[in-house]
Amino acid sequence: MSYKPFMKKSIWVILAAFVASCTPTKIVVPLEEGQVQVGATLGRPKINSGSLPLLGIYAAKGVSESTTAYGAAQLSSALFGAIQLDGGVVKSLRPSQGFTPGFSYSYGGNVFFSARDYAVRVYPEAGANMFWQRGPHILNVSVNSWVDPTWFLAEYGRGQILAPSLGAGYRLRYKWLEVQAEYKVVNPTREIHVPQAYVPSTLGLGGRGFYWGAAINF
Amino acid sequence: MKQMLYIIALCLGLASCADISFAMLYGGSGEYNFSNADLDTAYHIDEEKIHLFTVPSEDDTIHGMYLGDFSQLENDTIIVYLHGNGPSMDGFWSTVAVLANIGHQHRYGVVMYDYRGYGKSTGTTQNAASMAADYDAVMLWLEHRGLTSDRMVVFANSLGSLPAGPAAAGGSRITVEKLVMEVPQSSADVIMQNATGLSLPSSMITEYNFNLGQDMENYPGELLWMHAEEDDVAPVETARSAMRRHEGTYYREEVYPNVGHGLRWDIGNEEWTRVIHEFILN
Repeated sequence: MSYKPFMKKSIWVILAAFVASCTPTKIVVPLEEGQVQVGATLGRPKINSGSLPLLGIYAAKGVSESTTAYGAAQLSSALFGAIQLDGGVVKSLRPSQGFTPGFSYSYGGNVFFSARDYAVRVYPEAGANMFWQRGPHILNVSVNSWVDPTWFLAEYGRGQILAPSLGAGYRLRYKWLEVQAEYKVVNPTREIHVPQAYVPSTLGLGGRGFYWGAAINF
Repeated sequence: MKQMLYIIALCLGLASCADISFAMLYGGSGEYNFSNADLDTAYHIDEEKIHLFTVPSEDDTIHGMYLGDFSQLENDTIIVYLHGNGPSMDGFWSTVAVLANIGHQHRYGVVMYDYRGYGKSTGTTQNAASMAADYDAVMLWLEHRGLTSDRMVVFANSLGSLPAGPAAAGGSRITVEKLVMEVPQSSADVIMQNATGLSLPSSMITEYNFNLGQDMENYPGELLWMHAEEDDVAPVETARSAMRRHEGTYYREEVYPNVGHGLRWDIGNEEWTRVIHEFILN
């Protein structure tokens, strides 16, 4: 039995991946007070033998020395009639010093709105970052989890309250430029299933892939 | 607040009407060169019993195939085979040949057709309405040739369960009294939720909404559900939940361990036909 080309088959997965709590970690180290960052993110979750492009845009602003607020929109979802916005804050707990890591945490929310039937879903999220910063170089290990307050709406009782993700990455914050690369394991507490597609997993659970970002600092 | 409203307005403007259904449905080209060379000798079909036909479905043309003598439509049991998510009927030729020869050679008449956008059928399958219209067009063709509900068996394979569900739940001009669901899906929402891990409704990405559990609840006739424990296309757990909502006159389930979505190939024709024939004769 022959099938149509890879991309056509995989659009489901694009949608699956961008919503599966796997938007990139936008800010790890809070910006300086008053600093504004505008950027774009590209998620590359793995599917079959390749990866897929999930595009998003975001803006962030350092509202104090230790707190940065951000807002973002996922463009891939808009293509299919769903508005996906997220926003939140990242707060510094302690800076990185030498080999001693710094820590920050974040919280916020994600909103999905269907342009077809006006269905709305809201998923709060919280995360923590451990990072090492040396000059413009930042290494990070991050954990994050979305909370599904409407898990009971999932059919046949298959909803889960938490949708966690784990990530490790590198970012270069140099003057007006910031670029980032991160490898993420998403939803490792459940099997991600897409009909007639193979989703590379970790021990049979979740999905994974590289996420990229580029931003300009003002 | 004003900025937020601008952002929301911008996103609404960006939100397009693209629908994921075009990616879910793998319609493709079809040759319709149905030959015994592709079949095991036990399932050969006499050439004069292979009939290709077309029927109008709204503005589109549906291509179908009937295996058997036309006289069977007036007085014998006919199997209506709703095929799975392959490019065309071509990929299901060997399956309908087996169905036609259950019991003995040319025992049953079998009807199969390509949905819009599959094989030579024109147009594009987009939603439940277009699937229902195509099904109804074929039902009309069968009704005009004398088929009645007491002699019809609807056999739905995988994707075929999508039109079969609403048809069984009262949407068929020839009432469905016997239904075989082979490796069916369960609902559009389940597919969305299995893919995302979140309680998202399928309306986020498609207008093609279906709910086979609801359909089975509303189907009063006989149901045979066949599935594979290792099915990685239609998960058995949610299919089971959907099929067991059936409260009709007769229910039978056959779930096979260590096999996948290609059920007939995995369990073999002997077991496959045994179960189906028992159900037909029930």
